[in-house]
Amino acid sequence: MAKDTLFRSADMTLTQLYVANEIGREVVSALGELGTMQFRDLNPDTSAFQRTFTQEIRRLDNVERQLTYFRHQMEKNGIGMRSIHDFSNTMAAPSATEIDELADRSQSLEQRIQGLNDSYETLKKRETELTEWRWVLREAGGFFDRARGQTEEIRQSIDSSDDAPLLRDVEQANGSAEAGGQQQSFSVMNIGFVAGVIPRERMGAFERILWRTLRGNLYMNQSEIPDPIIDPERNEEVHKNVFVIFAHGKEIIAKIRKISESLGADIYNVDENSELRRDQIHEVNSRLQDLSNVLGNTKRTLDAELTQIGRSLAAWMIVIKKEKSVYQTLNRFSYDPTRKTLVAEAWAPTNSLGLIKSTLQDVNDRAGLAVPTIVNQIKTSKTPPTYNRTNKFTLGFQTIIDAYGTAKYTEVNPGLPTIVTFPFLFAVMFGDFGHGAIMALAATAMIYWEKPLARGKQDELFGMAFYGRYIMLMMGVFSMYTGLIYCDVFSKELSLFPSMWTWNFPEGYEPGQGTVRAERVEGYTYPFGMDWRWHDTDNDLLFSNSYKMKLSIIMGWAHMTYSLCNSFINARHFKTPIDIWGNFVPGMIFFQSIFGYLVFTIIYKWCIDWYAIGQSPPGLLNMLIYMFLQPGTVEEELYGGQGTVQVVLVLLAVVQVPVLLFLKPFYLRWEHNKARAMGYRGIGETTTVSALDGDDEDEEGGHYANGNGHGRPSAESEMDGGAMITQDIGGGEEGHEEFEFSEVMIHQVIHTIEFCLNCVSHTASYLRLWALSLAHQQLSIVLWSMTLANAFAFDGALGVVAIFLMFGLWFLLTVAVLVVMEGTSAMLHSLRLHWVEAMSKHFVGEGIAFEPFSFEVMLEEEMDELM
Amino acid sequence: MANGWSLLISVIFIVVFCIVAWFFSPKGENQTVWRSTLVLSAWSCWLMWAITFLAQWHPLINPERSDLRPEYVNGPVKGGSMF
Repeated sequence: MAKDTLFRSADMTLTQLYVANEIGREVVSALGELGTMQFRDLNPDTSAFQRTFTQEIRRLDNVERQLTYFRHQMEKNGIGMRSIHDFSNTMAAPSATEIDELADRSQSLEQRIQGLNDSYETLKKRETELTEWRWVLREAGGFFDRARGQTEEIRQSIDSSDDAPLLRDVEQANGSAEAGGQQQSFSVMNIGFVAGVIPRERMGAFERILWRTLRGNLYMNQSEIPDPIIDPERNEEVHKNVFVIFAHGKEIIAKIRKISESLGADIYNVDENSELRRDQIHEVNSRLQDLSNVLGNTKRTLDAELTQIGRSLAAWMIVIKKEKSVYQTLNRFSYDPTRKTLVAEAWAPTNSLGLIKSTLQDVNDRAGLAVPTIVNQIKTSKTPPTYNRTNKFTLGFQTIIDAYGTAKYTEVNPGLPTIVTFPFLFAVMFGDFGHGAIMALAATAMIYWEKPLARGKQDELFGMAFYGRYIMLMMGVFSMYTGLIYCDVFSKELSLFPSMWTWNFPEGYEPGQGTVRAERVEGYTYPFGMDWRWHDTDNDLLFSNSYKMKLSIIMGWAHMTYSLCNSFINARHFKTPIDIWGNFVPGMIFFQSIFGYLVFTIIYKWCIDWYAIGQSPPGLLNMLIYMFLQPGTVEEELYGGQGTVQVVLVLLAVVQVPVLLFLKPFYLRWEHNKARAMGYRGIGETTTVSALDGDDEDEEGGHYANGNGHGRPSAESEMDGGAMITQDIGGGEEGHEEFEFSEVMIHQVIHTIEFCLNCVSHTASYLRLWALSLAHQQLSIVLWSMTLANAFAFDGALGVVAIFLMFGLWFLLTVAVLVVMEGTSAMLHSLRLHWVEAMSKHFVGEGIAFEPFSFEVMLEEEMDELM
Repeated sequence: MANGWSLLISVIFIVVFCIVAWFFSPKGENQTVWRSTLVLSAWSCWLMWAITFLAQWHPLINPERSDLRPEYVNGPVKGGSMF
């Protein structure tokens, strides 16, 4: 059997399992640990409530809720949880009794925690009330003392002058009491009061309402409580004010009480007598003392209990989540009541079947059951899910491809070449040895500290970088290489080899007068990358633009030709020769006769020493344009017979268009008519319509409709259950769609137009390699000259400080702007080149991703919850 | 030192590298990944080098500067460092 490689999807087999009812849970649990099977839903018409194991799932839901409750309580009380990484055997499957124990335990724990919590909250509330009361007593005491002083004043003022009509009644009614002097009390004066506490932000409204309803007949005193008071219900700090309102008459007092209660104020009982008040304060203080003792005890008990739970909470959560997913999977099985067996259907990689069988055997042996678990392979024409086996290195690259679309089953997976092409095209745009080194070092650090970093919390940006750490490593390494080729290290040159240019100063040369032109060292070409002497020259850009533009075209041509070849491999693999002759060959000829020829002329032009043969080098851009506008006439000849060659090439390209357009559709029509003439009919053409629906859901439905058995019964269908299940598989026969010539033709016309236009636009699109690399280089030159270059102008102690500071600034901006920002932008461009320019040449897509039932995957998805 | 023959030599070198990479890739389930990655990397890097080499083989323009001082003469001649 062929090995599973990243080149194409692993071979998948549809398997059928017959599991004895008693060990259903254990079997699914073992398969969940294995994580290589994707179970099909065999009861698609049954609602979630009607399924077999709904009861169990409900029970587990309840336990999960309790565990979440513990978690919330722990968070509320600031108690840490032991990380799931501390459990070595997290992957061990729990037994049924363990689950029951856990359920009972969490039930009793929940009651206990709830009880503790309730009493804690009640106590806390009581404490708050007492604290507020204490404040009221303290503050109100101050009012009373001041008020007493004022009554003296009031009385004196009344004594002296009679212009206080409101108080005169009081005077008259209590005339005798005046003599009492010392023991003057408000009750005697018929003035009542209300004291309490109100949230500070309501104070204004409270005052206004009182003023309006009582028409100003009140005397109000208030003061702020300096410490915030904690609201036990919401666990928030609230700022409150103490108020004391004096008013005249019982009704008014009652009204004030009502208003203050409706505004959320708490009214406390304060005695006006200072002696009694002192006693009250004492009492409140002692009660607060007792209360805080009790509170401390309760809190300690609660904390101890929660800490105890926190030690194993993560493990319990894993157990419950696993157990729940097991029952959810069991619900996808169909139950055969007569035989007491569960029947399941699942996709599995063919290479894993041996492992699956031995695992099931193990489970059976452990359970000591005589009835074995049967694994059948079913032959089906249904399209299997696509499964590309990845490891931690290839995962990131495969994700790039999967983000665009899932590859068709066993088509060439572009993820494999992407491992190189993606970082390489990135590096062409990002080429700088220094910046590449920073990126490679960052990636290496992330890989070195992989495990601790994976466990920690990651924010979004870092999480993305961490996920793509191997992509980053490749990008960094390739950027270092392209940086050496471009001869750029932080925008400076690196003179690895002797230059091929020497400066030839004219006689009497003065700086700033005229230019110096370098002369070539005879017969010597700079061996690796760009010659460093091009750096800082006046015509540097002239040379590098021409070079990088051509570089982009050649790179693009190579990348697209490579991708186009994949379509050939696909056609060979799917055994559709018409795709080779009708699509691949004409497409390739079309592309090569225009852009392959362009690449050829570029290289040819480079290879000729134009000055040595005394000719002026022809412009390639005009050549390509006039190749189409005036075929046959060449103004500046690149080589002899160029006109004829170009005419032939243009004709060759033009001829491919009708071939692309008509060959495939007419061939398919001919093939179809031939089959018809011989008396064949499409399977299912006359039977039910449901057979034609490729949709997964419809196929399931089709199983009920196609009683006429056009499904292909499997070899093992002598068992009734088997026959029933396998029939619906046949319902999904593909490739028997009715042949519709117009549809095929339209599809091909679109494909042809797209292909021909894309050849042009995609080649042009690769010029982004040049544009971004130019931008990156120029930006780093600007950064250098604006920061460090300025610092070099200083000398002495100032120079030291300037260089130190400027280096910091330069380095910071290099990392932030040139590496992170520019890197992101180059990465997005590289991504586009892969998704659009390369993958459009061969990628079919339309696959279904393989989503195995795996505890590992499930827990990873819910990892955030557990951390 | 480096002339037209470099191209041929480099191609031979890359071909040899690819053969070695093909046969000495670690066996096991990742063999395909190793082979594809090594061979493709080698050719990508070679292509980049070859394009750069070709572009400078018969250059059409020479470097020009107007900010050099006569004392510079040829500055760091052959192999010298500018830093």
